[in-house]
Amino acid sequence: MHRRSDPEQDWDTLRRRIIGLGERSIHKSYYPELQSRLAELERFRAILDQTNDAIFLIDAWTGLLVDANESAWVQLGYKRGDLMQTPFCNLIAPEKRIWFLDFFAAGKNPSRRQQAVTAGLLAAGGTEVPVEVTIRFVTFGEEQYAVAVARDITERMRAEEELRIKESALESSTNGILIADVEGYPIYANPAFLQMFAFASVDALSDRPVAEFFDCGRAGANLLERLVATGSLIGEGLGRRSDGLLFNIQISGSIVRNDAGDPLCMMFICMDITERKAAERIQREAYEQLRRNIEQFAILGDHIRNPLQVIVGLAEMIEDPLTATILSQSRRIDGIITELDRGWVESESVRRYLKRREPVAEE
Amino acid sequence: MLPTDELELKKFFVPEFILGRGALELAGRYARNFSLRKVLLVTDAGVKQAGWADRVCTSLNEADISYEIFDRVSPNPRAGEVMAGAEAYHAAECQGIVAVGGGSPIDCAKGIGIVTSNRRHILAFEGVDRVQMPAPPLVCVPTTAGSSADVSQFAIITDEDERRKIAIISKTLVPDISLLDPLPLTSMDATLTVDTGMDALCHAVEAYVSNASSPITDLHALEAIRLIAAALPEAARAPDDLQARYLTMLGSLYAGLAFSNASLGAVHAMAHSLGGLLDLAHGRCNAVLLEHVAGYNYAAAPDRFDAITRLLGQQPEELSGNERQAAITRAVAGFRRSLGIDASLADLGVEPGDLPALAERALSDPCMATNPRRPNQKDIEEIYASAF
Ligand SMILES: [Fe+2]
Repeated sequence: MHRRSDPEQDWDTLRRRIIGLGERSIHKSYYPELQSRLAELERFRAILDQTNDAIFLIDAWTGLLVDANESAWVQLGYKRGDLMQTPFCNLIAPEKRIWFLDFFAAGKNPSRRQQAVTAGLLAAGGTEVPVEVTIRFVTFGEEQYAVAVARDITERMRAEEELRIKESALESSTNGILIADVEGYPIYANPAFLQMFAFASVDALSDRPVAEFFDCGRAGANLLERLVATGSLIGEGLGRRSDGLLFNIQISGSIVRNDAGDPLCMMFICMDITERKAAERIQREAYEQLRRNIEQFAILGDHIRNPLQVIVGLAEMIEDPLTATILSQSRRIDGIITELDRGWVESESVRRYLKRREPVAEE
Repeated sequence: MLPTDELELKKFFVPEFILGRGALELAGRYARNFSLRKVLLVTDAGVKQAGWADRVCTSLNEADISYEIFDRVSPNPRAGEVMAGAEAYHAAECQGIVAVGGGSPIDCAKGIGIVTSNRRHILAFEGVDRVQMPAPPLVCVPTTAGSSADVSQFAIITDEDERRKIAIISKTLVPDISLLDPLPLTSMDATLTVDTGMDALCHAVEAYVSNASSPITDLHALEAIRLIAAALPEAARAPDDLQARYLTMLGSLYAGLAFSNASLGAVHAMAHSLGGLLDLAHGRCNAVLLEHVAGYNYAAAPDRFDAITRLLGQQPEELSGNERQAAITRAVAGFRRSLGIDASLADLGVEPGDLPALAERALSDPCMATNPRRPNQKDIEEIYASAF
C-alpha cells in the first residue's frame, strides 16, 4: 500500500529543486553549447590546417582573402596576417592572373561555378610554386565567397618530366625493348623491337605470348619460368620475326617489381647479332685454315730435312772440291728450315692465344 | 536634486547568487554546469593562505574540473596584473574563471574575462558600456563583506602608469553566479572587517541618495544600512561569530544589488582618486570621506539622509533643518569611530598639495554622474580639506 517510500523526503528534494539548488538547477546559458560548437569548429580547422593543400577563402565581390588554412601561408612562407584582406590575384603569377580576374568577373554565371587550372603561386621570397587550383563559388547566408584549393604540383611535374625522359630513352634506343605484363603478354614494344621483329605496331603483337618471340633452344620453352625463378636472365638465342624467319639475338630479361617486391611487369632487351654471328663463323673458318697450313708446313720441313740429311751424308763420303760448297749450302737450307720451324712454334702459340679468345659458341 | 519623475524608466539587474552555509562548496558544480573543463582560479596571497582557495579547489577537483591558479593580485588590482592574468588564461587554455577573494581578485577576474574575450587592453574599456563581447563564465566566491564586486557591474582597475583608478561599468561584467558563504569572512581581521564593512555602508548610502535610485534599489539600500549598522560592530568584535558574519554578508549583498543598479556618488569618485594616487585601502578612504560628502549632499536629499540618520540610531525629527544636516555627519562619524576608525586624510599620507589633482580626477570619475549634487572643483577640494 505504501509504495512511496517517504513523501516527506520527496518534498524535501522537490523543495530544494524549486529553490534552485538541484544539481541541474541552472539558469539559461548558451555558453556550454557555444563551447562545444567552438570545439567542433576548432577540430575542423585543425583538419583543414593539416591538409597539404593550400585552401583560400576569398570574398567573391572584392576578391580579397578572408581566410586561409595553415598550409597556405606556411607553404608560401607568409605569416597568416600578411595574407588577410589582400587581393587573392596578387598571389597568382602574372601569366594566369587574367584568368582569375575573368573568373571573378564571371562570378554570377552558373556555368563557371567550378574550374580547375594550373598556375603559379607567388611565395613570400618571390619564387613561383606551380599549383593546380580548383576554384568555385560558395554562398554562406548572404555572403558569397570563392574557395580556392591549390595543390603543389612541383613533385608531379618533376615526375612527369622524368617519365618523359625515360620514355624517349626507351623509344630512341637501338636495342629492341619489349615490356610484358606478369602473364607474359606484351604491353609495350619500342620502334627498334618492332623493326627487328617486323611488326607494324604494338597492337599487332599484343596477343602473342612473349615466348613466341624467342627460340632459345633447350632454354626457350621455359624462358618465362626461368625468368620468374631467377628474376633476370641474359643469353643468346634466336628471335622469331612476324613472318616466321629466325635471326640471332642477344637477350636480357628482368622482372620489374614495385616497392613491396610484387612483380609489376617483365622487360626484355634484344640486340640483333646476326652480323656478329656471321663474322664469328668466317673468323672461325680462317683460324681452321691457318691451323691446317701451319701443320702442313711442319710436315713439309721434315720432308725437306730427310733428303737433305742424305745429301749431307753422301757429300761427306766423297772427296770432291765441291764438297765444301754442298755442305755449306745444305747447312743454309737447314738453317732456313730451322727458321721456319721456329716460326711455326711462334705461330702455334699465337693460334692458342687466339683460340682462347674465341666465343663459346664454337663448342 | 533627485529626479521627481516617479515614472522615469528604471532597470534592475540581479545576477544569480546562492547565500548561506556551504555555498562555496558549490563552485565545482556551477563550473561544471557551464561545461567548463579548465578554469583560471583568481585569488590573492592572503585568501590562499587562509585556505579558502584550497576549499574551492577541492570542490573543483570533486567536479573533475582542472584549474590554473593566478594569485598575483594587489589590494588595488593593476592593469598589468589583469593583462598577466589574461595571458595565464590563454596559456592554460581555460574556458572560464572562478574568483575567490575580496573585491580585488574579483575585479581582476572581471578584467581578465573581458580582456580574453575582446582581445584588447584592459584600459581600453574605461567608462560605461565600452565592452563589446561578454566575458567567459565567472563564478565568484567572495571572502569579504564589502565590495559586492560579485554582484555588481563595476570593475575598478588601477592604471599604474598614470597612478589613477579607472572604472569599467558594463552589464557584461556582472558575474554569472556568486556563492555567498559566511564562513570565509571569519578569517578577516578587525581592520579588514571594518574597512570592507564601511565600503558596504557607503554603497548603500550612495545608492540610496543616488539620482539613479529607484523604489527597488531603495528597498535594498535601506535594508543594507539597517543590517550593516546592526551587525558590523558585532562582527568586528567577535570575528568568529558566524551569525554576525552572515548578517554583514547579507547587508553587503543588499548594498551591492542597490548600487549595481543605482550606482554611487562623490564618496566613491573621491575614494577612487585617492586610491589611484596613493594606493590606499578603498574601504578606509570611503570611511574617512563618507560623513563629509553626506554633509555636502544633505541639501539635495534631506529626507533620505534623515532616514539614514535614523537607521544609524539618531532621531533627526527632534532637530531643526540645519541641525539635521550636522546630524548625518555626526551619526556617520560616530559609527565610524565606534568601529575604531579615527584616521584623517593626513594620517593616510595625503599632502595638502595633492588636493587639486585629487579633486580633478574625482570629477572625471563616472561615479560622480549619479551624485545627488553636482559639485565643482572647489566643492570637491573643500570636502577633501574637511576630511584632512
Ligand atoms: Fe566601494
